Amino acid sequence: MRPLTEEETKAVFEKLANYIGKNLVHLIDRDEDDAYCFRLNRDRVYYLPLNMLHHATSIARPNLVSIGTCFGKFSKTGKFKLGITSLDWLAKYAKYKVWVKQPGELPFLYGNHVVKAHLGRITEDTPEHQGVVVYNMSDVPLGFGVTARSTLDTRKLDPSGIIVFHQADVGEFLRDEETMF
Amino acid sequence: MDVAQDLAEYAAKHANNVLERDVPIEVDAGLLAAFDNTPVDEAAYADLNPHLLSLTLTSTASLLASLFTLPRAHAQSSTSTGTGPTATLPPPKTLLPREKALPKPKQPTKWERFAKEKGISHRTKDKKEWDEERGEWVSRWGMGGKNREGEEQWLHEVKNRDDADLDPASTLRAARKARVTKNLKQQSANTNRAINANASTDPAIEKARADKVSSRTKRKSEIDRTLLITGTATASMGRFDKKLEGEPKVKGVKRKFEANELPSGGGGAKEERERQMGVLKRVERGEGKKVRKGGEGREGDVNARKAVRYEGKQQRARQKK
Repeated sequence: MRPLTEEETKAVFEKLANYIGKNLVHLIDRDEDDAYCFRLNRDRVYYLPLNMLHHATSIARPNLVSIGTCFGKFSKTGKFKLGITSLDWLAKYAKYKVWVKQPGELPFLYGNHVVKAHLGRITEDTPEHQGVVVYNMSDVPLGFGVTARSTLDTRKLDPSGIIVFHQADVGEFLRDEETMF
Repeated sequence: MDVAQDLAEYAAKHANNVLERDVPIEVDAGLLAAFDNTPVDEAAYADLNPHLLSLTLTSTASLLASLFTLPRAHAQSSTSTGTGPTATLPPPKTLLPREKALPKPKQPTKWERFAKEKGISHRTKDKKEWDEERGEWVSRWGMGGKNREGEEQWLHEVKNRDDADLDPASTLRAARKARVTKNLKQQSANTNRAINANASTDPAIEKARADKVSSRTKRKSEIDRTLLITGTATASMGRFDKKLEGEPKVKGVKRKFEANELPSGGGGAKEERERQMGVLKRVERGEGKKVRKGGEGREGDVNARKAVRYEGKQQRARQKK
């Protein structure tokens, strides 16, 4: 376990900023008694409270399965990939949101893109290729993705047109259980 | 067979060629050299080449004559080798100067100097030492040496005041290793001192020597580098190549990371936070990120290219109507 290097931090922040924008500050700049930190263990990036860090330092690297919240992992080429486990934090600070109707919930949770027919609501002025968090109509976060069109352009789209490209959904907790953390 | 008579006859026959010298020619048979010490006659030098030839002939003749007066080796043994009669040359009479400078005397070590000052006489220790218990001669050091007797014994006596986790064997071993390293250090210090003492006081010579050394090390490092590069020029990047003996190991640059554990008191946490805020600022400014043409993808910006295209489309649609 170690802190991220500057390049790694940059890669992580660029990805996170795509979803939560300027709210990223709230992840870093926190109260003294509620401080969190980013740590890297075996290619995975964890976001954890400081007191948990103090406990975890005594655990050997190969024995440490997971700590705090896993935000995602670094690929071998040094790219950072956000994981579904980061959804709680993303949903809390999300800037752009997409709500899917009840019939669209299951298709999304099986790993499909969100089509216009399933779109319940969308944050106004969402630009194209913007990271969004997907909720169901009762405001339960289901996953996240990237918009295929801006909010304006969605109006002209036919019902089978893709609105949000799927990136991660909570169905992965069942589908990819063994490689999750 | 007496050649001396023949030779005398020959000399008489060619008397006009052999010169009469005032000072008899000195011959050093050991060096196969003859020295003509007669002062130079200026008049004779007018006709130079024949005179020089006759001078040479005179010296050579006396040298050859002296060779035949030397004791000869046994005829039978010399014929068996097929070389004919042989003579043994006497030791040379003329002293020749030494080719190289005399070696400098060995510089005394620090201990030797101290011993001389104090009048301590040198005493050579035997390599072997008598072992009372085993009843045999054992070596002082090395394999089964007496100097590691303490660390190799099966039972160690521990004193009351010693720590509970004291390992007497390893302590003794560490002490012995420390003595060895100390001695190595002293050795190298002695050699350095000797080199400095023998060093020339002439700065030009010193500079030339230093230049030679530096150019050699430079060349060596260049060769090492080339070797390193060529070594990786195989399909396996040199991984499965046979290593030469004594080939240096390639040391890469080690990665360095910040400490994982933050020091208590909140200073470390603050520092880390500030570092991350710095990165965040740069990310927000979009540094190092590819910005697409026309400001597309930047927050709050209008994609001019797209806007123009959109407006154009709208106009064309209106015209059609």
